[in-house]
Amino acid sequence: MLALSLLLAVTAAGCGGDDGGGGDEQAATDTGEDAGGEPQRGGTFRIQTDAFEWTGNFDPTGEYLGTALGFYSSLLVRNLMGYRHVGGPEGNELIPDLAEAEPEISEDGLTYTFKIKPGVKFAPPVDRDVTSKDVLYAFKRIGTPSLVAQYGFYYSVIEGMAEFTEKGGLSAKGTNEISGIETPDDQTITFKLTEPTGDFLFRLSMPAAGPIPEEVAKCFMKAGEYGRFLIATGPYMLEGSDNLDATSCKSMKPLPGFNPNQRLIMVRNPNYDEATDTKEARENFVDRWEMTLNTNAQDIFDRVKSGSVELAHASEPPEVIREYTQNEDLKKNYHSDPGDRTWYITMNLTQPPFDDIHVRKAANLIMDKEGLRRAWGGSVKGDIAQHIVPDTMFNDELEDYAPYATEGDAGDVDKAMEEMKQSKYDTDQDGMCDAPQCKGVLHVTRTTDVWKAMVPVIEESFRKIGIQVTTREFEDSYTVIQTVKRQAPVSSTPGWGKDYADASTFMVLFDSRSILAEGNVNYSLVGLTGEQAKEVGAAGTTSGIPSIDADIDECNKLQDDERLSCWQDLDQKLMEEIVPWVPYLDANADFVTSDAVTHYVYDQFAGEPGWAHIAMDPSAG
Amino acid sequence: MGRYVIRRLLWAALIVFVVTLLTFVIFYVMPPGDPAIRFAGKQPTEATIREVREQLGLDKSLPKQYYTFVERLVTGDAAECPQGVEGCGWPGLWISYDSRTAVRQEIIERGPRTISLALGGAILWLVLGVSIGIISALKRRSLADRLAMGFALFGISAPVFWLGLLALFIFGSEGLGIDAFSTGYVEFSSDPVGWFSHLVLPWSVLALLYAAFYARMTRGNLIDTLGEDYIRTARAKGLPERKVIMKHGLRASLTPVVTMFGMDIALLIGGAVITETVFNLQGLGNFAVNSAASADLPAVVGVTLVLAVAVAVMSLVVDVVYAYLDPRVRYS
Repeated sequence: MLALSLLLAVTAAGCGGDDGGGGDEQAATDTGEDAGGEPQRGGTFRIQTDAFEWTGNFDPTGEYLGTALGFYSSLLVRNLMGYRHVGGPEGNELIPDLAEAEPEISEDGLTYTFKIKPGVKFAPPVDRDVTSKDVLYAFKRIGTPSLVAQYGFYYSVIEGMAEFTEKGGLSAKGTNEISGIETPDDQTITFKLTEPTGDFLFRLSMPAAGPIPEEVAKCFMKAGEYGRFLIATGPYMLEGSDNLDATSCKSMKPLPGFNPNQRLIMVRNPNYDEATDTKEARENFVDRWEMTLNTNAQDIFDRVKSGSVELAHASEPPEVIREYTQNEDLKKNYHSDPGDRTWYITMNLTQPPFDDIHVRKAANLIMDKEGLRRAWGGSVKGDIAQHIVPDTMFNDELEDYAPYATEGDAGDVDKAMEEMKQSKYDTDQDGMCDAPQCKGVLHVTRTTDVWKAMVPVIEESFRKIGIQVTTREFEDSYTVIQTVKRQAPVSSTPGWGKDYADASTFMVLFDSRSILAEGNVNYSLVGLTGEQAKEVGAAGTTSGIPSIDADIDECNKLQDDERLSCWQDLDQKLMEEIVPWVPYLDANADFVTSDAVTHYVYDQFAGEPGWAHIAMDPSAG
Repeated sequence: MGRYVIRRLLWAALIVFVVTLLTFVIFYVMPPGDPAIRFAGKQPTEATIREVREQLGLDKSLPKQYYTFVERLVTGDAAECPQGVEGCGWPGLWISYDSRTAVRQEIIERGPRTISLALGGAILWLVLGVSIGIISALKRRSLADRLAMGFALFGISAPVFWLGLLALFIFGSEGLGIDAFSTGYVEFSSDPVGWFSHLVLPWSVLALLYAAFYARMTRGNLIDTLGEDYIRTARAKGLPERKVIMKHGLRASLTPVVTMFGMDIALLIGGAVITETVFNLQGLGNFAVNSAASADLPAVVGVTLVLAVAVAVMSLVVDVVYAYLDPRVRYS
C-alpha cells in the first residue's frame, strides 16, 4: 500500500503546497461554443479513467455516481424530465424529455400528471414503445428494499411509497401497488404527493426514475445486478444489447458493453428516433463511446496528448494543469467549468473548542482559503467559497455574499482575534484560544496529495488564533468522520456536490433527522438533541446546538423564486448563526481532451462533459 | 519422495486453512469500517444500510459467516450464484461486494496477466542475474565484475515505479513513440505478438530489480563454493575447468538462489502491485489493492488465498528441486 502511495505520489509529481501548477490562466469556456468548424458525425470516442467508482454497479435504481448519472441522462435513459446537457444555468434547467410537455400540476401542488411521448422505444432486444407502466415499474424498483435505491428517499413524498416498501416492494407476496402513482393508459402517468414538494420535477429527472422494462429487469432483484443488462431508451445502448437473449432469465448473459472493473462501451441504439428528441437536448454526433480503465494516470494524460485517447477522466497532476493552461496550443483542450461542488472544513458542534460559535466564526476569519486553493492547483480549480451552496445554484445571486471575507482570501488575524475574544475559550480575552481545550485538537484529513498539501495551511491558520491542531491522516477518513462516536472535532476531508440544481440537496447535510451513528453526513451534528446524542453515541455537549429542520421543511414546500430565496436565506443563516463549516472552494470540474475533440460542451447537471453534444474528428478514433 | 510430497501437500492444505482463518479475522472481525455503509451510497439511511448488510451476509454472527465462507470454498458456490453472475464454481470465493462479479471469475481473468508478468520476468531475471553473477565471480575485480556489480547496485537502488515510468517515458508517446510497448495487457490467445510486446517493458523493469539481487547472490555463493576443498579436489583430479564450475561449483551455489526464486515467484503471483499499476496490467495485485481500499472483503480474501496457495506450492517445488541440486539433501 505504501508502495502504491509512493507511485501515486510520483505520478502526481509532487502536487505540493506551492503554486502547484495550476496557474491563473483561463481554461477554455464550455458553453457549447464550437472550437473548430462544423461538428461532424461519427468516430469512436475513447475515454480513460484511473478508477471506476460505481456505487450501484450501474443499475440506475441504485447507482449514485455522478459520472454514471451523466451517461444515463445524456445517452442511455430518457426520464420524464431531462436536461439540455450544456454548461451554465441553462444546463441546470429542466425540459421535458420522455414527457410530451411540462406536467399538469394541481393547484395544491400535490398531483402531477404527465403525458408520455409516443414513439420512444426500448433498445433491442425489448424493441417496444415505452409506456407509463415502465415508469411505474421504475418506481416499484425504487421502493423495493432488496434493490437498495441509494437515493430512494427523494421519492418518499409519493403517496403510498412507504407502505409499498414496508410490504417488501416487488418482492411482496400478493398484490402490492404504489397508491400514489396511477397509469390510466399507456401514455399517462399521475403522481400524488403527500406534501407540496417544490423540487419534485428535479427528483423525476434522476435516472432511477427513468423507464425500466419489467420483462428484463424482473430477473434482477438484488442490488447492482441489472446494471450489466441495462436496456436503454436513449440514443445509445450498451454494446451487445442487440444480442441479449431475453427469452428467459437463465438465458441472459451479461452484456459485453459493461464490465464494472474494466469497461463501459456504448453504441448507437437502432430504436432511437431523433424525431422524439430535440437538438437542444441531444445532438449525438459520436458513433461509439469506449470508457476503459488505465491504472496509470500519467499514462492517460500522455495518451490524450498523443491522440490515442480523446478524454482523460482522472485528476490532473499539477504539471498537466500547468502545461495545458500555459501552452497556447494546448489551452483549448483544457476545460474547467463550475462543478456545483463545495469543499469545506467541517467543525463538530459538540466538540470543544468548536462548540463555541465565536471559535467557529474566528476559524472562518483566519483560514487562508487562497492557500488552500493553491494546494489544489490554483484558481483554475475553482472559486473561493464564501458560503454553503455553490453560487451557480443560486443563479449567482449570492455571488457578493461573503460574511467572512478577508483581503486576498488569506485570512485576517485582527478580525479573527476580535471574534475569538468573545469566546469562553479565550480566558484572558487577548484574542487567542488559551483554554486547555485549544491544544491538541484532532484534525482528520485524507492521505492524498491535495489534502496533505492543505495540512500546513490549516495548522498555521489555526495556530494564529491559538488553536493547536494535531493532524491525523486516514485512508478511510470519510469513515472516521461519518462515525459519530469517533467525535472528530474538525476535518478537512469532505466535499459535497449537488444531485440536482436545488439547494435542498445541500441542506440535507444539516438536517438533524438524517443523523446516523454510522454513515452520518451531518458531520457538524447541526440540530443534534441530547436524546439523539445518546442514540448515536455522541459524547460531547449538546446544549445550545441549533436546529434548522423547520427551516428546511418550510423551504421544501415552496416553488420557483420563493424557494430560491428561502434557500438563500437559510444559507446565510447557516453561515452567520450556526457556522458549521469553513467553506473554501467552489470546485470546478476540469477535463483534458485531445486535438481530435472538435466540439466540447460541459453538462452542468452532471458536472461531466456534455456527451450528448460533444463531437470529434471521425477519422481519429 | 512420494510420501514426502503427500505429507507436504497435507501441510499446505493446513496452512491454507490457517491463512483463511487469519484473513477472515483480519478483514471481517477487524475491518477499518462497516462495508455496508460503503455500499449504501452517499447519503445512506438506516434502512439501506440494514438491507446492504443483509445482502452481504454481514448481519450473521461471525462464526456463521466464517462457516459459510469455508463451506463455499470447499463445496463451491455455483448453486447459490446470483442471476446474471458468471464464473461461480469451485473453489467458491463468492461475489465481489463492489462489482457484483464472481471473485473466482476475476481471479481466473486476472491470474494469467499476473502469471505472465511473474514468469516472464522471472525467466529474464534468472538468466540475467545468474549469468552476471557467474561472470562476476569468475572475473573478480576485473572491469566486467565492476560493471556487473555497478549494474546490480543500480537495479537494487532504483525503485520499480521510477524505472517503470522512465521506461514508458523513453519508449512511450513522449519518447520514441513505440506503440507496441505501450501500457495495457493483450491476451496471448488473441495476439501472441501483442502479448509479448506489451509485456517486454514490465518484464524488463521487474527483471532489472530482481536480477540485481540474483547476480549478487550468485556471485557471493559461487566465490564461496569455489573456495571449498572438493572444488580443489576436482581440479586436482584434472577435471576441465568448465565442468568444475558448472557441475560442482554452480550446482551447489545455486541452492539458496532456488529458495529465493521460489518465494519470489510465489509472492509475485500474489501481485506485483506497482509494476501492474504503472503498466496498466490490471492483474491480481491491482485487484487486491483496490479491493482492500474499498473494503471488498470477499475479493481481498480471494487474492490472499491465491497467494497462500502459491507460496505453499512453490515452497514444495523448491524443496523438490533442492534434492535434485544438492546430493546431500534426501527426503525419505
